[in-house]
Amino acid sequence: MDPKVNGQLQTEWGWLVAIYLFLGGVGAGAYTIAAINGFMGESLEFSTIVGLWISFPALMIGSAFLMADLGSPARAIYAGMKPKTSWIARGFWIISIFMVLSFFHLLLHRSGSTTADTSLVVISVLGIIFAVLTMAYTGVLLGASKGIPFWRSGVVPVVFVVSALVTGHFMIMLGVAVFGESAAVETLRVMAIEAAILVALEVLAIFFFLQAAFKTPDTRESASRILRKRLFVVGYFLLGLGIPLVLMVYIGRTDGALDGGPTLVMVGALLGLIGGLILRQAILVCGALPTWNIAGFKFRRIARPKEPKPAMGMLPPH
Amino acid sequence: MARYGMVIDLKRCYGCYACSMSCKVKNHTPPGVFWARVLKGEEGTFPNTVRQALPVLCMQCDDPSCVEVCPTGATFMQEDGIVVVNKDTCMGCKSCLMGCPYGARYSVESWESYFPDGLPLSEYEEFAKQQWEETSGCGVATKCDFCKDRLGTGKDPACVEACPANARTFGDLDDLDSEVSILIRRHRGQQLNPELGNNPKVYYLMPR
Ligand code: SF4
Ligand code: SF4
Ligand code: SF4
Repeated sequence: MDPKVNGQLQTEWGWLVAIYLFLGGVGAGAYTIAAINGFMGESLEFSTIVGLWISFPALMIGSAFLMADLGSPARAIYAGMKPKTSWIARGFWIISIFMVLSFFHLLLHRSGSTTADTSLVVISVLGIIFAVLTMAYTGVLLGASKGIPFWRSGVVPVVFVVSALVTGHFMIMLGVAVFGESAAVETLRVMAIEAAILVALEVLAIFFFLQAAFKTPDTRESASRILRKRLFVVGYFLLGLGIPLVLMVYIGRTDGALDGGPTLVMVGALLGLIGGLILRQAILVCGALPTWNIAGFKFRRIARPKEPKPAMGMLPPH
Repeated sequence: MARYGMVIDLKRCYGCYACSMSCKVKNHTPPGVFWARVLKGEEGTFPNTVRQALPVLCMQCDDPSCVEVCPTGATFMQEDGIVVVNKDTCMGCKSCLMGCPYGARYSVESWESYFPDGLPLSEYEEFAKQQWEETSGCGVATKCDFCKDRLGTGKDPACVEACPANARTFGDLDDLDSEVSILIRRHRGQQLNPELGNNPKVYYLMPR
């Protein structure tokens, strides 16, 4: 309940917004992979179906989490009023259009359209464009916050796009592993190789993000906070990136003949998904206000001792 | 049209928090909401150190990033340069809380008691809560509005009036003969973090 001071962590955006950004990323990432796989021929056909089924519901549920975070959700109808300057308003339109596209894509697919039909090709291309915009938006939204220097890094949207592809990909793998029968083993092997490459890219992106954050004084506080967060180091670095990477490389190299294949895929994909959520939550809650300075006078805050909570007896009578 | 601004003299301010308290009383802000804050800082290495109080409030930026990020248009700049929130169209997305680099914005879910352990609201708190809901509201963004309801009544904003050190001056920046304009010119008024490009209308006179 202290007044806001420089260097203080923001407390307004937490898990709810993290889940919104996560599901938005999963939906858009899964769609992108599904639509691309749609052009790759028979062997990846099943992953396209799974991805299309994931995309729309993920976006729907994600938007519900954003609504839940609003202080006055009944006024969400005003959300798209100012797309000229506001990224939330642009995101409102981007996600709305994308949801319509992904829904129609699913309908077309169900009605038996193939990539030989122009309508499906057109909707795929449009869908991929809006999916990429959605993935980038989840990062650019944070980057638009002048009050949180940690989020303003140009690497943030890259991290979010790569992580959206990774989590979307894992979500599809999870679906294929659960619903695909024995024929899915080969699909999973190909997808495991793709997953390993995507996770490796994410490791690189995170490395550059944190390295840059340690360089400027305003973001160093946030960067060191995030590395001191156990949930981030263990839940994301180790369980969310490390273990899935090892598992995917292993599955990709074992010809899919392995009996435990689908189970290993499920474990790896689940860990990767949870990691993606933790990543977003950690970036959110480690965002700190900038340092205020005036004519070269930098304001170093004096730490105040914690005040004891007043005892009941000290309260004035009501 | 006037363009309102404030000058805060850091040489005069001795960090008594009278501005914080008077703002709270005038605007009925709930616990945890401080439109007028006083930061205490230090600089230098022993033995050459200084301790300085820095009173802050909404800087009423001329290029306000809060207005830029607001998706609904609820936050906007009035003709007189004061940045305000329309409590009836704000949807409470809190992106302006993240967009403001000066930590000037607050949003609360409900007006809770100042007293601990879930005690019911006292009579004064009940009154304050009702006033708050009429003028600012819960579930929406709130901020200092330069006490805009006092404009034209001949009264200064509450924090200016309450300052015992006379460190705060309020007035029209466009009027070259106003006290604020003269102070800024004479004592070379400085903005907080000018590099952010928000172009605040609150100016500081340096302590040294
Ligand atoms: S200080 Fe913050 S809230 Fe006030 S006008 Fe500037 S950006 Fe907006
Ligand atoms: S919380 Fe309200 S005023 Fe702030 S950006 Fe959202 S809609 Fe605009
Ligand atoms: S001008 Fe009014 S609303 Fe703003 S800080 Fe001062 S007392 Fe509070």
